[in-house]
Amino acid sequence: MNRPAETDGTLIERSARGRPDAFVEVILRHEVAVHGFLARRAGRQVADDLLGEVWTRAFAGRAGFDPAHADARPWLYGIARNVLRAHWRASRGGGRRPGEEVTDPWDEVIDRLDSAARAKPLISAVRALPAEERDVLLLVAWEQLTPAQAATVLGIPQGTARSRLHRARTALRPVLAGPGPDRKGS
Amino acid sequence: MDELELLGQVDPPAPGVLDAAREVLWSAVAAEMLATGPAGPRTASADPDRSAQRRREQPGA
Repeated sequence: MNRPAETDGTLIERSARGRPDAFVEVILRHEVAVHGFLARRAGRQVADDLLGEVWTRAFAGRAGFDPAHADARPWLYGIARNVLRAHWRASRGGGRRPGEEVTDPWDEVIDRLDSAARAKPLISAVRALPAEERDVLLLVAWEQLTPAQAATVLGIPQGTARSRLHRARTALRPVLAGPGPDRKGS
Repeated sequence: MDELELLGQVDPPAPGVLDAAREVLWSAVAAEMLATGPAGPRTASADPDRSAQRRREQPGA
């Protein structure tokens, strides 16, 4: 009889208690998803280059993971986000003022999207969103996270994530419900 | 929201990419295992099997 699969939390806890190799199983579960997270925001080449950095940072910080969480994706996305921000900060030559927020370079993201030509109104609407609302929206739409999980990635209260998501969806509704018989307003 | 999901579709990574990233992780894992020993940070007294083996190998210890 097969044993039920161990949760990410169980594996990460074990990896922090003398079995570091248990961490590899967690990575095998989520490597495609985390690469996708990086590729959607920075392109495939950068994603290829940064994936190993995400794993080593996650491994080094695994003692800080709450094993009560069965799914490690929000935690891994949070680390991937920090790795991306460091990459962007470095690639811009440190031209930002101390404390200045580093956000997704959205114009560059759009240029990389294969489907960009087919969805210009939607892209314009997403681009017009405040960065903090766009972050929550894309974590839910692209990474299939719940608003609570998106809050974990971004380090914000769940209620804040929900309200930002609501505002983003409200702003996009006219575009998503635009002309065309098959459009959905969800 | 379907259109937004489509907007974020990317091709899966090449197998070699995942392998290379796993190698980076394995290096970190191996370094930690070497630093702490194959049984990790457990002490001999906390691991009866290893304690018994050590007594057999070092009867005077």
